[in-house]
Amino acid sequence: MKYSLAILSLCALPAYADVDITGNVEAKCVIQTDKAGVYGNPSASVLSTAPSDGGVLPVVRFDVALADYYTANITHPSSFSSSPALTDNVAWTGSTSVTQTSDAGMSGYESAKVVYDNTTVFDLTVAGSTWFSTSSTATLAASKPFTGGIYTAVVQASCIAK
Amino acid sequence: MLSKVLIFLGWATAVSAHEMTPAYPIIKPSHVSGVVKVDLSLFNSREEINYYEIGLYDLNWDGIPFSAVYRIIKVGYKERKNFSVYIRESDLDEAVYVCTTSKIRRQRETKTLVSSRICSRLDGMPA
Repeated sequence: MKYSLAILSLCALPAYADVDITGNVEAKCVIQTDKAGVYGNPSASVLSTAPSDGGVLPVVRFDVALADYYTANITHPSSFSSSPALTDNVAWTGSTSVTQTSDAGMSGYESAKVVYDNTTVFDLTVAGSTWFSTSSTATLAASKPFTGGIYTAVVQASCIAK
Repeated sequence: MLSKVLIFLGWATAVSAHEMTPAYPIIKPSHVSGVVKVDLSLFNSREEINYYEIGLYDLNWDGIPFSAVYRIIKVGYKERKNFSVYIRESDLDEAVYVCTTSKIRRQRETKTLVSSRICSRLDGMPA
């Protein structure tokens, strides 16, 4: 009986083992699509993502784990990726701006942005999250009406290591 | 403190994201002489995206030839995929950016779509 109790008490002793959890914080960029945009059709010849035109602005969020390793390059559309056949030229305008930041140190992003062609470049000098919204307007030449159908255009959001 | 917790939670519960690491991959020898390789890891949590295209570019964004098992890789939702890009040693002086770009499906609504692209640099970390 004594031996059985001794063996049982040994079995009841908890077993210990060290299990390591390791992590690596490295330069990393994550692009999140918070909202896909929608074109409103305020007049027959205009498609616009502006909320005042009945559209929805696409919103993209960039998360960077370490400061000063990436730039955010966002390109607004200059053509439709799919649309009905159009016989007239389309005039495109657009812009990208900072709408929200996770750190007060990012307040200078908007004024420091560089715009060339259809692309806006933001230098991500602070670790954290930045939200960008892109406006896009397509106007058909000579104020002619757009043909009925589905129109889609692509915003290119790039996170490029410096 | 609360804002930091909220930011972390936002990060941890990211629902629609494209992530590629490392930012500065190490160039390693491959099993073929005259060819080097870089190993990269891609994580897809964009539910509407299933395919990513690999690209290799010089400083002026001109394409550079490379090899990979697949140039367009299928990455399921919430899936991580590791892949290697093989580059000729003779092209290494020119090669600067290795990128993955999301491939977008044709839509049935009048809308704007977001194509995401993340690029790592092969010419080293910034000084």
